[in-house]
Amino acid sequence: MIEIKKLAKKFAVENPKNLSEQEKKDPRLKGRFFHSVQDVSFICKKGEVLGLLGPNGAGKTTTLRMLSTALKPDSGSVEIDGENVLAQPVIARKKIGFLSGSTGLYGRLTGRENIHYFGQLHGMNEKSIANRIQELADLLDMHSFLDRRSENFSTGMKQKTAIARAVVHSPELVILDEPTTGLDIMATQTVLEFIRGLKEQGTPVIFSTHHLDEVQELCDQVTVIDQGRTMFDGDIASFKALAEGSLHQSFMAAIQ
Amino acid sequence: MWLVFKKEIKELIRDRKTLFFMIALPLLIFPLIIGIVGFVSKQAIDKAETQILNYALIGGQYAPDIVQDLQQPDKFNFVEVSEGADYTAIIRSETVDFVLVIPENYSSNVLDNGQANVKLYFNDAGLNLVYRRVNEIVKSQSELFQQRAFSDLGLDEAKQSALIEPIVLEKVNTADARENWGEKIGGMLPYVLFLLCLTGAMAPATDIGAGEKERGTLETLLISPIDRNKIVMGKFLTIAFAGTMTALLTVTSMVVWGLVLSQGMAIKFVADFMAQIAMHDFLLIFLMLVPVVAIFAAVLLSISIYAKSFKEAQSYMGPMSILVVVPIMLALLPGVELKGVWAWVPITNVSLAMKELVKGTMDYYQLFAIFGSTVIIAGALFAFCVYWFNQEKVLFR
Repeated sequence: MIEIKKLAKKFAVENPKNLSEQEKKDPRLKGRFFHSVQDVSFICKKGEVLGLLGPNGAGKTTTLRMLSTALKPDSGSVEIDGENVLAQPVIARKKIGFLSGSTGLYGRLTGRENIHYFGQLHGMNEKSIANRIQELADLLDMHSFLDRRSENFSTGMKQKTAIARAVVHSPELVILDEPTTGLDIMATQTVLEFIRGLKEQGTPVIFSTHHLDEVQELCDQVTVIDQGRTMFDGDIASFKALAEGSLHQSFMAAIQ
Repeated sequence: MWLVFKKEIKELIRDRKTLFFMIALPLLIFPLIIGIVGFVSKQAIDKAETQILNYALIGGQYAPDIVQDLQQPDKFNFVEVSEGADYTAIIRSETVDFVLVIPENYSSNVLDNGQANVKLYFNDAGLNLVYRRVNEIVKSQSELFQQRAFSDLGLDEAKQSALIEPIVLEKVNTADARENWGEKIGGMLPYVLFLLCLTGAMAPATDIGAGEKERGTLETLLISPIDRNKIVMGKFLTIAFAGTMTALLTVTSMVVWGLVLSQGMAIKFVADFMAQIAMHDFLLIFLMLVPVVAIFAAVLLSISIYAKSFKEAQSYMGPMSILVVVPIMLALLPGVELKGVWAWVPITNVSLAMKELVKGTMDYYQLFAIFGSTVIIAGALFAFCVYWFNQEKVLFR
């Protein structure tokens, strides 16, 4: 179980002139600081899939980066099974598998080497890395391109490799930042299947997305963020109940 | 740490572009370029030497000997030009290559007629050997006239040379050949070595920091359960290794090509010179590179990790090669010697030490100062790198 309470993060604005028009109008810009995330809380239990929704610039990526310990929150807490992750980031990194939205691969290494490297960084031994790669390649249908250099991969191949890399150490929690953005329908389907597989194994998954049909299909919990604050946090049924009609209506109602 | 190093090296080796700059360039391209330039310039000089020059001669009647000497159809071709012609114009229009004007007072009897001022009009811009070729003829005449004047005066040989040059200032160099050449070669060595180290380290440095950021692999690496300073160390070692290898390869290739290309005399000179430098001095020269490379690697890595993209990193690194030249140039200034404060100035002290080592006049106690100051600076820069790698505003710029 992962519990996030009142996360907040501000960034120093080095040159206010470089901000976009939209950012200048944003109420989160206070003096020399941009308060990207102000108050985000949610809980994701074992075997649940949580969908993180919100408009562009709402603070989704910043929130997920804080969860993955890439960024340090200014306040708030992140607890995995009751253990405070922020105090011991290295332990948290072993428990979490994180796939960022803008992730890439080492182009001059093969798919297998990319995954292998991160297995090594996670302190796994050769045998278990080899077994795990075999297992993941079966699961994600990667055998045809696993031993080719990843610079020539298609977007779908890259995303599959990136997912395999993120979960090579069999993490207790998987965080995916917009995992289906920019993928074709088949690749999207593979990613969704994979999330479903994790859910069946009881691994909690938190993923951000703009596709409400994915939320409908997979999510048990929904959290909506806007302007760095949690606007809605609850199960899918109560999210649907926010408005009549489609999930889009519910989403609009949540950020009102 | 070795994990990161091993992976970076693996990537580096697979990168043809970087590898090309690191290995192929110094090994093959430079000698090839030098060879081509040498070949072409030799061709050009040969052509200038053998080319038949069109000339006009004014006042030829005063100097029948010169007229006769110029009558070599395979070298010179006479063109008739009127005395009042505009010499500049006819040379520009390529009617003639040069105009030789001999004055009236031209005579073998220099004691009575005085110095003859022979004028040579030609276009001296660009490569040409007009002056040299005409001078050959005029000079031999001049010497003949001189001899005749001397014998007319009845001077013996001792008096003749005393008259030509009454006082001679003779150089007696107390430096042996090694010190003499060491000053020149040893002064150039740091230029070549440092700049090669720097260029060799630049390509992998860009790739390892800004490249990872641009490709989006950095974030994933940062959240893997490995200490930041181990990541930094691995990357730092890769850059330093690449820089050192480039320098070593290039120097080796220069020596090999130098031996291959130079023949006879030169080979003996090089061999003699090298034989005078003890093995441990050679080793020290390369050991000295280590702290310098460490400084370079730390600076390059900091720049690279700060930059948002490849392009940004490259534009920050560009001025570095200029900055590096400054302390090396300081080492070449007169009065700057390897002692006192100068032994503590980074890069300058290593340049000085390299020179001293080649010259064979090294004060080995100064090694403490050299290694001391470079290790402190490299260490501080490395610590800064680690600090930089923990800054969110640097990593997620």
